[in-house]
Amino acid sequence: MKVRKSYLLLGSITIWILLGRLLHGKNTLQIDTYENTSFTSYVGKKALELRGNRTGSPAFIYFFNPIRGVIDGFVQIIRNTIAVPAPNSIIPVIGWLGVVAIIAFAVFATSQWKTALLSVSLLLGCGALGMWQFTMDSIAMTLAAVLLSLAIGIPLGIWAGLSDRVLKILTPFLDLAQILPTLVYMAPIALVFMIGAASATIATMIYSIPIAIRITSHAIRNLNQSPVEAAESMGSTQKQTLTKVQIPMAKQMIVLGINQTVMAAVSFVVVAALIGAPGLGKPVISALIIRNVGQGFVAGFAVVFLAILMDRSTSAAARRQNSFIPPTEKQIKFKRMTLIGTGILAIVGVFLSRTMLWAAVWPKEITIAPQVERITNDVTAWVLENLTIFTVGFKDFISYSILNPLESQLSASPWYVTVAMIVALALIIGGTRTAILAFVLAMAIVLSGLWYEAMLTLTQTIVGCLLTMIIGIALGIWTGRNDRAERILRPFLDAGQTLPAFVYLVPMLGLFGPTRFTAIATGIVYAIPVVVKIVCEGIRAVPHSLVEAATAAGSTTRQIITKVQLPASKKTILLATNQGLIYVLAVVVIGGFVGAGGLGYLVIVGNSKPELQGKGLIAGAAILLLGVIFDRIMQAGARRSS
Amino acid sequence: MKSLFGRRSAIVSVVIAAALILSGCSKSVNSSAGGASGDCGSYAIAMHAWGGYTASASVVAEVAKKELGCTITQTTLDEGPTTYDAMEAGTIDVVIEDWGGGRWKDWTDRGSVVEAGLNGNVGLIGMYVAPWMAAKYPDITDSKNLNKYAALFKTADSGGKGAWFEGPAGYTTIGEKMVSANKLNFKVIFSGSEAALVDGFTKAEANKTAFIGYAWQPWTLFAKIPNLESGHVHFPANDWTDPAKASGLTDYPATPLVKLISKKLNDANDSFTTLVKNFKWTNEDQNGVAADIEGGMTPEAAAQKWIDAHADVVKTWLGK
Repeated sequence: MKVRKSYLLLGSITIWILLGRLLHGKNTLQIDTYENTSFTSYVGKKALELRGNRTGSPAFIYFFNPIRGVIDGFVQIIRNTIAVPAPNSIIPVIGWLGVVAIIAFAVFATSQWKTALLSVSLLLGCGALGMWQFTMDSIAMTLAAVLLSLAIGIPLGIWAGLSDRVLKILTPFLDLAQILPTLVYMAPIALVFMIGAASATIATMIYSIPIAIRITSHAIRNLNQSPVEAAESMGSTQKQTLTKVQIPMAKQMIVLGINQTVMAAVSFVVVAALIGAPGLGKPVISALIIRNVGQGFVAGFAVVFLAILMDRSTSAAARRQNSFIPPTEKQIKFKRMTLIGTGILAIVGVFLSRTMLWAAVWPKEITIAPQVERITNDVTAWVLENLTIFTVGFKDFISYSILNPLESQLSASPWYVTVAMIVALALIIGGTRTAILAFVLAMAIVLSGLWYEAMLTLTQTIVGCLLTMIIGIALGIWTGRNDRAERILRPFLDAGQTLPAFVYLVPMLGLFGPTRFTAIATGIVYAIPVVVKIVCEGIRAVPHSLVEAATAAGSTTRQIITKVQLPASKKTILLATNQGLIYVLAVVVIGGFVGAGGLGYLVIVGNSKPELQGKGLIAGAAILLLGVIFDRIMQAGARRSS
Repeated sequence: MKSLFGRRSAIVSVVIAAALILSGCSKSVNSSAGGASGDCGSYAIAMHAWGGYTASASVVAEVAKKELGCTITQTTLDEGPTTYDAMEAGTIDVVIEDWGGGRWKDWTDRGSVVEAGLNGNVGLIGMYVAPWMAAKYPDITDSKNLNKYAALFKTADSGGKGAWFEGPAGYTTIGEKMVSANKLNFKVIFSGSEAALVDGFTKAEANKTAFIGYAWQPWTLFAKIPNLESGHVHFPANDWTDPAKASGLTDYPATPLVKLISKKLNDANDSFTTLVKNFKWTNEDQNGVAADIEGGMTPEAAAQKWIDAHADVVKTWLGK
């Protein structure tokens, strides 16, 4: 069975290549980038009408505009409290010292003094990087998005946890939201809610709510059922069971969900700046524009600091709930005293930050930004000076050997040949249902009129994913087999996951020039951490007995890896590949900013040229369709392999 | 543990409540802040991506803050529709430089965006080869000879043709039409951002590699590569009278750059409205300030430097 499957795959790929060669250049559906199809110009016209309606139509007056107003107001209140002065003020309500004091106190109260100390250092670090106000803006934006996400996500999650029907209805949306590349849905949101804090908050929520829902429902569903049954048998109403038993029991898991929701919101900080979010994204994006790598990294470091701060403070709170050793009377008393003490300190801090200018506005003299900027610029300059020969050579090698042949195969073959190929792949890997879905989605891309551009993006995603998997699996095996390696790589992986892709887009541009490969390389850097982590976990999950048996039988390390550990973690590796594809796709489209063309460029150009707006929106939808096709095929493959 | 948590939450809430009450009632530095002086309110200037724009907008912002006492926020956002929407929504009041040649028509028709005259800068767009090429192959700057050199411009990305680096996404770009109208053996590569073009030109000039790309003036790159103008490729001028007649576009026309203001600012008709409407300077002025910013000065300092040196010009803007 297994052998036949790989023969089938090989066979259909061969036929595809032969047909592609035979019919090269026919029915490629290529149109000029600045040319509209009747469909895209229709969508563009509708979008323009929508813009015009914003002040007139009832849907806007009674629905969208009030939502925008409320969210904008909410964000503004938080911003005025910690980040920016309200009109006619010269300082925010609470100055920097007050913010540091309150956060330190809150973290201390919910976890330990070590975490509190770390939080303070990270906050001061952001200040020293000259990013205090941007950081506060980002915290305000994150806070607003997280609070709203939780207000919607936790109730929905509990509901989905209790009702199978609700879960079934929600699941496709949750899946979709996780595949959706962020660049894609920002334009439609901005179309309805306009550029600004409200749009940015809503975009962030779309990204973070699914996580809150998923984890909450998971928490409710995986409870030990006996206390629940006991409560029910003692005559508790459904409401009582929920509030007195299920929610308290699921609390720890829900706090973990809060942590994940916060992290999702933080990872959105930079992208959100593209639709007018105040905060750290602004300096990152403007560094891209003026090509100042150093400035980009200074702001990027602040983003990383903020992410660590958010992660540690919320995850420490989650862990704290988990302590099973009851504290002694003395410990309780001590903790209470220190709490009161630090509480008073916090209040003093807030008071000072309102009355003293030095405690209100971050002193400009305390800064390490110029040094950091200079060092990163020097390092980058050195790297560009000395490594460009190699990087350009490598880029050309990959371009001529993989990228160009694949691009010519995908984009210059007739569309029906490639659609047939995709359906065949889906059929072999996933089965009939996957094949039907793949056919429908691929045809939707064909009908959208952007097939040619979609093939360019597909090429870049496949090549990026291929390279990601080669590096990711190698590193994953290494870290999976070696604890030291894992400890060494971990911080880099964590940083890589939080450092926004925009930060290293500029150095990549320097290394590879305005080319497709710049986009691919950026995608690889972005996707590697998650692939390494998943593969590492997969390798670790392989039962020890298997490995020991193989060792006892005299297998070499190489044999253990290739014959035992890799086959045993096949499913995980497929899942990692799926994640890799989705991650690479999400970043490859940003490559439109640096010469990669394809669908991403159409999204970007659609944002700035009114006559191409429709095409940009459709391109966004096409990216999503590509993502869903990947995801469904890979998921089905992973399901079948288990 | 339960009781500890209970007590603990109580303490935490008390502290947070105290901090909040404190921030609500206590006298703060803010109490001593007076309102802005003069008749000028608070306005937002759109900050667009390119260096020249930053120069113009910073100068206007500094004059407004220092001379008129306005409260000015500078908001970074995409040019074009995004900005016009923001003006309609009331979050942006000024675009100090727009190249778009009437793309704002839908918004001005509705009255939410108002044209505020020319800013004195003239936008020149063209295709440029790296200057070393113009020196080595003197006839390359005549578009008729471009095909002769097309092979030089081949890259891994250009599919056997010459690579033609198109301007950033939001800019006026007609590369595909120029290539077909001039019958050139080139493939348009959408470089997507200013950074990509700067990278391309600088490296090509330094390493003596072939490059043809989109460039515009005023642009700070012309200060960094002083003889860039010598690489200007001349195409036959096209008939621009009918933009709808798409296929015949052979070259870019010169564009006088336009200022746009929100309805709110236009109606307010205060000292800031006067400043924005009167603001006018030359390409050299803008290049000077932009070069200072590029060289590492903050936009505020670079703007102030120019303002100090041109007090008389500033005076005319203020209508004094």
